Amino acid sequence: MAAIEIDGLTKDYGSVLANDGLELTVEEGEIFGYLGPNGAGKTTTIRMLLGFIRPTSGTARVLGRDIRDERALIEAKRSIGYLSDEPGFDEQATGTEILELHAAVKGDTRSEELLELFEPPLDRPIREYSRGNVQKLGLVTTFMHDPDLVILDEPTSGLDPLMQQRFGEFLRGERDRGVTVFFSSHILGEVRRLCERVGIIRGGELVTVEPIDTLLMQSGKTVRLSSRQPIPDDVLAIDGVSDLETGSAGGGATDGFTECAFTFTGDINELLARLPTEDLLDCSIEEAPLEDVFMQFYGGDSDV
Amino acid sequence: MFEFLAYDLRKRLKGSVYLTVGMGLLTSMMIWVYPSFGNTFEGDELLDAYPPQLVQLFDIRTIGSLEGFLAFELYVFGWVILLGLYVAYSAASIVAEEIDRGRMDALLAMPVSRRRLLGEKFAALGLPIGLVNVAIPPVVIVGAGVIDEPISAADVAVLHLLSVPYLFACASIGLLASVVFDRASVAQRVALGVTFALFLTESVLTGTQYELVGAIAPMRYFDPNAVLLDGSYDFVGAAILVVTTATLLLSSQLWFRRKDI
Repeated sequence: MAAIEIDGLTKDYGSVLANDGLELTVEEGEIFGYLGPNGAGKTTTIRMLLGFIRPTSGTARVLGRDIRDERALIEAKRSIGYLSDEPGFDEQATGTEILELHAAVKGDTRSEELLELFEPPLDRPIREYSRGNVQKLGLVTTFMHDPDLVILDEPTSGLDPLMQQRFGEFLRGERDRGVTVFFSSHILGEVRRLCERVGIIRGGELVTVEPIDTLLMQSGKTVRLSSRQPIPDDVLAIDGVSDLETGSAGGGATDGFTECAFTFTGDINELLARLPTEDLLDCSIEEAPLEDVFMQFYGGDSDV
Repeated sequence: MFEFLAYDLRKRLKGSVYLTVGMGLLTSMMIWVYPSFGNTFEGDELLDAYPPQLVQLFDIRTIGSLEGFLAFELYVFGWVILLGLYVAYSAASIVAEEIDRGRMDALLAMPVSRRRLLGEKFAALGLPIGLVNVAIPPVVIVGAGVIDEPISAADVAVLHLLSVPYLFACASIGLLASVVFDRASVAQRVALGVTFALFLTESVLTGTQYELVGAIAPMRYFDPNAVLLDGSYDFVGAAILVVTTATLLLSSQLWFRRKDI
């Protein structure tokens, strides 16, 4: 049985087609990244999966239960953890009170361990929480009942880099225990570190579902070079270089360039082997921003 | 079962105590000022000076006795209007505010039906309604004794008992507004507006050919004057209020179940 089966899921708001006939299957025990720029329809899909909004047409099954059937979905929710993109808790309550409510309703088998890991300030009222602390408390409530499936909407937003790393390790550990993770993100690097497969949504349509390795191979990196001596043009005349822009600091050089920026989709070792390393002033190789991936693979008419 | 009720009861405890203390102070003040009224004016001398519209609006029958004075000053004003508006306003926040502040997702991600969540949150309004109606009757009865104007303890007790279905009916108006409107401020304004409009409708239309229209107002079925002055208890009216509350609660639950949040 697949953990999530999405079948023609559509949400039409009249003025906006937020989700358009999505077809997608998430297998048990995988970390699936749901990727897309803000406003692409990621949250709409997630909120339909949890029954917060009703599909205009199509349906989905989570842990084998139809999301249009409230009673069935409630049964499924006993084994689902969910973290919203902007978790909201009763501002007057303390973290402890929130956890007590969650424990009473859905059970609590591991909050102790989670609290050691994420450390939200339990004694303080939620109104004094920072964004990051709310997120940490949200992570505890998401995992405390030891769910089989977790659905996370932009889970690392608000977490500092240390906590993001800790969260990443934790998530991989959960995957190894057999937990299925479905999480949305607009940050390619985060998805790359954590996911095996990704689905990309744009303008409400699922444009591709691929293993992360395939996507990364295609997506390319943004490379910037700055050199003391001009670099001959033919150094970059290899496969995988695109959108090349060059310039010369001195202005007068005719053969080659001293500065350049381009997108590279080939083997990074091959590129480095061709560069005149001793004369480089600076070299940066960055993951292409997600928006660029869209531009590159889905045409220049992208409205992202 | 009842985890959300227990949580909301704890949350409402402080506010309910403040409300009860406030109403207790209002009650004590009303009783304390009554003797100086009674001594200064002969019978309904003062009432005769009131504009007749005001007398009809607040359903003032007499202020020549403590019962009549309290029926108007404390119960029509304090219970029918003030508390009625208070519970309607509180109920209007139940769903709309959770959605407005982005808290509903975290609640509904738990294994709970929308129907149960709404029912338990509504039931938690029983705390302020119950507390104020348990705490105030002794204040009235003891206070009346202190100023040497004894009042029927049975009448006072029944009056407060009958006010419970009345207040729940007002709360159910707020609850419906709460599920229909997404923004808490809108839901609260609508709840206050509708409740007050119903009060006006009932008061103004009484004695006119349109009196029947006032039958839709909960205020028609809860009459402090009848209880305190005539000792007549309208249990049929109370039953109508219970049915109204149940109907509005069920409608709210159905609406909430179908709603995109």
